[in-house]
Amino acid sequence: MRKIDVLVLLFALGIAGVLVTSTYAQAEAEAPIEPDLARGEELFELCAQCHGSAGAGNQLIEAPAIAGLPAWYVEAQVRNFRGGVRGAHPDDYAGLRMRPMGRMMHDDQKLVDVTHYAASLDPVMPAATLQGDAARGKEHYQQVCVTCHGADGRGNEALHAPPLLNNSDWYMVAQLKKFKSGLRGAKAGDTWGATMRSMSMTLEDEQHMQDVVAYVLTLRK
Amino acid sequence: MIETWVEAVSTYARDVDNLILLIGVLVGFWFILCEAVFFGFIIKFRHRPGQKAQYVTGEEKSQKRWISIPHLLVLVCDVFIIVGAVQVWYTIKQNLPEAEQTVRVVGQQWAWTFVHPGKDGKLDTADDIALVDELHVQANTTYHYLLESRDVLHNFSVPVFRLKQDAVPGRTITGWFNAQKTGQWDVQCAEICGIGHGIMGARIFVESPDEHAAFIASHSQAAPVAVATASGR
Repeated sequence: MRKIDVLVLLFALGIAGVLVTSTYAQAEAEAPIEPDLARGEELFELCAQCHGSAGAGNQLIEAPAIAGLPAWYVEAQVRNFRGGVRGAHPDDYAGLRMRPMGRMMHDDQKLVDVTHYAASLDPVMPAATLQGDAARGKEHYQQVCVTCHGADGRGNEALHAPPLLNNSDWYMVAQLKKFKSGLRGAKAGDTWGATMRSMSMTLEDEQHMQDVVAYVLTLRK
Repeated sequence: MIETWVEAVSTYARDVDNLILLIGVLVGFWFILCEAVFFGFIIKFRHRPGQKAQYVTGEEKSQKRWISIPHLLVLVCDVFIIVGAVQVWYTIKQNLPEAEQTVRVVGQQWAWTFVHPGKDGKLDTADDIALVDELHVQANTTYHYLLESRDVLHNFSVPVFRLKQDAVPGRTITGWFNAQKTGQWDVQCAEICGIGHGIMGARIFVESPDEHAAFIASHSQAAPVAVATASGR
C-alpha cells in the first residue's frame, strides 16, 4: 500500500471516528433524564417551605398547590422561572419569589428529580374561596378555554395546556390577571404563555375570571 | 489594606475601611498583649513539686494595677474609636448630600427591584425604568436611594460601596452613595429573610455618562412598565 493511500485511509478513519463520537454524544445529550424520586424528595424540602410538604399550597404566601400536577408542566414552569421567562416582572410579587428557587434547580437532573417528585404526590382538591357565577363561566369556558384545556378540564400535553382541576381558585384568578396585565406571558420566548395571554384578553374583568374559575371547579365532580 | 480583597468604589468606602483598621489595630494590640501576659503568667506560675497554690484576693494595690491601668488605657483607645466611628456615621448616615439622581430600591423575598428615572431624570413618572436584580447608576454622581421592603426585613448591601442599610416593611428609608469608578459589582441581602436569602443577589452597574445615557435610551424604547413600589403587588 502506498504512503498516500495509508494517509487517506487514516484520514477517513479519523473522520469516521469523529462522526461516530459526535453522533453518540448527541444521542447521549438528547437522552431523556431518568428521574430519581428519592433525590427529588430531598430537594422538595426547599419547595415545601412555601408549597407545604404535601404540595397542597399556601394561599397566605401565594404558593399554589402543586401536588400531582403533570411533571412535564411543573418542569416547564420551573424552567421558565429559571430562564427568566416567568417571574421576572418587577410587579410579579409571587413570581419573583419563585425565580431564585428556579435558579437553585440549575442542574437539569435536579430539576427532573424534584418536578417528578411533586408530580408523584397525591393530588389535592383545594376548597373554593371565591364567589363566581358558574353558569356564566360555563358559557365562556366552552367557547374559549375548552380548546386547549378540554371539556373536562384535564388539559392537553400536546398543546402545553395543564389540567385545571387540582388548582386553587384564587391561584387561577391570580394567573388570569397576570396574563391579562402582561405580568405573565409577555416575555419573549414564552410561547405558550403568549397563547394564554391572548386568551385572557377575552375575559372582561375579575368577576368574569371568577365565573370561569367557578365553572372549572364544577368539573371536579 | 481591605481594598486588596474588596474594591473600594464609593466616596465613603475608605472611611469605613480606615475605621475598621483603627478598631482592628487598637483592639488587636490589647488582645495580643493580654494573651501574652495571660500565657506568660500561666507558664511562670505553673505547677511545681512542693509548691502550694496561693489564693489571690486582688485587693492589694500592686495587684489592682494589673486591672486599673490597662482599663484606663483601653478607655483612652475607646475615645479614638468613638470619635472615628461618629465621624464615619455622620458622613454616611446623618449627612445627606444633595441628590443629582434618585433611585428606588425595593426588596422582597427574594429579589431586588430597582426603579431608575427615565429620560426626564425624575422618579415616579411614566418613563421610569423598573428592573429586577439590575441597578444602573452613573459614576461620580450623587444618588439618593429610597429603600423599601414589600414583605419582611431585608438589607441593601453593596460590599464595594461599604454600604449596608436595613429595609423595613412600611418605611421608606433614604440614603446616598456616589460611585467613583465604572464597573459591575454584587448587591446582596445582608439580613436573614427566609429560605432564599442566600441567593437574593443582584448586580450594580456603574457606568460612564455615555454608557448610562445609552442604557436609558435602550430601555426607554421598551413599553413602559408599572412602577414597582413596596405596596404594588
